[in-house]
Amino acid sequence: MNLLIQFLRRPAIVHKWGVEDWNRFMPLARNARLLGRCLYLLEQHDLLGVVPSRLVDQLRGALNQTRYVQVQALRELRHVVRVLDREDIPPLVLKGVAYLVSGLPPSRWRNLSDIDLLVPKDDIVRAEQALGRDGWQPSGDFDAYDQHYYRDWMHEVPPLVHRQREIEVDLHHNLAPPVSRIQINAAKLWADSLLVSGPYGMVVRTLAPADMLLHNAIHLFMNDELRGGLRDVVDFRDLFEHFLAQDAAFEQLLLGRARALGCGRPLYYAVSTARDLLGLAPSAAFLAEVEVFAPAAPQARLMRWLIEQVMAPARLGLRRTAAANQLLFVRSHWVRMPPGMLFRHLVHKMVKAKKPALSAADLPG
Amino acid sequence: MPLAEQNLTLDAGPFQVRVRSSDPSFLDTLGFFYRGCVRHDGPHFVDFDIRIKRPRGLRRWLQPQVLFEIDALRPFEPQPAENAFPTYEWGLNWCIATSAHRYLMLHAGSVAFGDAGMILPGHPGSGKSTLSAALTLRGGRLLSDEFGLVRPESLELLAMPRGIPLKNTSIEAILEFDSAAPLGPTYPKTRKGRVRHLRPDALSVAQQQRTATPRWLVFPRYLAGATENLAPLDKSEAFRQLAFNCFNYKLLGETAFRAVAQIVRQTQCFTFTYSRLDRAVVQLMDLAQATGPAAHGSPR
Repeated sequence: MNLLIQFLRRPAIVHKWGVEDWNRFMPLARNARLLGRCLYLLEQHDLLGVVPSRLVDQLRGALNQTRYVQVQALRELRHVVRVLDREDIPPLVLKGVAYLVSGLPPSRWRNLSDIDLLVPKDDIVRAEQALGRDGWQPSGDFDAYDQHYYRDWMHEVPPLVHRQREIEVDLHHNLAPPVSRIQINAAKLWADSLLVSGPYGMVVRTLAPADMLLHNAIHLFMNDELRGGLRDVVDFRDLFEHFLAQDAAFEQLLLGRARALGCGRPLYYAVSTARDLLGLAPSAAFLAEVEVFAPAAPQARLMRWLIEQVMAPARLGLRRTAAANQLLFVRSHWVRMPPGMLFRHLVHKMVKAKKPALSAADLPG
Repeated sequence: MPLAEQNLTLDAGPFQVRVRSSDPSFLDTLGFFYRGCVRHDGPHFVDFDIRIKRPRGLRRWLQPQVLFEIDALRPFEPQPAENAFPTYEWGLNWCIATSAHRYLMLHAGSVAFGDAGMILPGHPGSGKSTLSAALTLRGGRLLSDEFGLVRPESLELLAMPRGIPLKNTSIEAILEFDSAAPLGPTYPKTRKGRVRHLRPDALSVAQQQRTATPRWLVFPRYLAGATENLAPLDKSEAFRQLAFNCFNYKLLGETAFRAVAQIVRQTQCFTFTYSRLDRAVVQLMDLAQATGPAAHGSPR
């Protein structure tokens, strides 16, 4: 169990840490985008005095950046909502920006790089066109194949970004690709959704608490190769505990929704990961019912090992982590598309291999 | 053949950097610039854990390349191996610029006289690096040629003496100004053209934990053939220009607004057009002397 995980489970452990422990901890926390979460945890447990001052500076620096990005995201959302309101398209916000507008616990420390919205499937093209008329453009070069990939197979249109701003806007019409193993009836999500008054007088919808957690689980364990990483598991645990504190029947509600929406498997992965790594402690009855959604034992063991390599490596840059990521990458495609479609997709991607994303273009000096 | 990997901890002002490499020529150059920054005690809390290494495979022999790793990740494409030192310097700057939001980061040279700080903000090409270099060659204490690091709650300017990258004709300008200037190797082909770094002087390095109070805010502009002209600058305009020259002004929001406003309030503000480096330096040294280094600064 790595130092970041040990700390997230039992913050008082920092009393025992020496210089080398801190030096192993910081890259893990930074890479997992959990510096802000760690700062809050240290403050909450009155442990800041134990932390070397230069590291406190790093934590505060990270939180300063997070606050800025949060404001940018909310402003972007206000621009988007204004356009959608005009078109009479109801915006439902997802993930990070939903936690922000609802003032849920992760909003205190959580960074975000884009805003995710759900709109009704029949409205998504109209929403995209309306945003296009107001200055949003595709955020990259999407060729005909990419267009076809997004529009016919995925649950979103190609990501948009306003030409004068930086935050990406992802328009979805569902929580999982229509071609994937999980089929979600979006109408059920809309039926349970909540109206929230957010900052700047914005009124938007969010998913109901149980659906919000299920989306976290689907996103992490089905859509991408665990890209949200440990940060998303921390969100899951924090939100689970928050909703349970508000409603003693939350566990049953969550199980009922997982059954109704057909996403018991991702719920199983999310709960077992949050329990293994972060000490989530739901009731025994809940755990027993979640266990029903587990895959066959060998598959469950393999996934558990893969998840641990990716989310809790002893240090960064291990070859084992890279290998686990490769397998998860394959798996994420396997659960996302039927085999024939997957084959065509991979061949296309191989032919059109991408250039490295970052360049040294904007360095000072 | 590469040596066993060296593992060094370097002071870089408020940061400590762990550098690992087995590239002998890179380590030589690093030693030339930062021998005085190497920590022999330890262990230390590491702010940036950097590794400069050669990629595996054929590339080790054919047009060799160098990789910059931070926390075992690789944010940049490989660079030509001969540019290992500039790659390290840019990489470290990138690490600082993208994470040190604990500080207000001015895109400015900064030099101290005693405890009084002179801030020289400016775009690339304004001559702030060259001026900072020349001032330190005449006894000014180098805080930074590029990053004016400010603690927003106390407005102290922090020192982070590093090699000053002189670009293209600035190299000759500095050698003409001081033929004994300790310059490192020439890098003929970098992204910024021909680059040669000036080694920070021993006193600046020894005093890198000593802060300074902002006293002068000078916006330099190199203009070929111009007569040196130091002209007072209206404070509201100084505010606008300094805010514009912060790496993280928008990011820090109100904190940055207050800090920039207070810096402008407590400094004498000027624009400075110059063409002859020797005269420019005399004029700025005169300014520092005339105002007196500790008139209302807070010595520490």
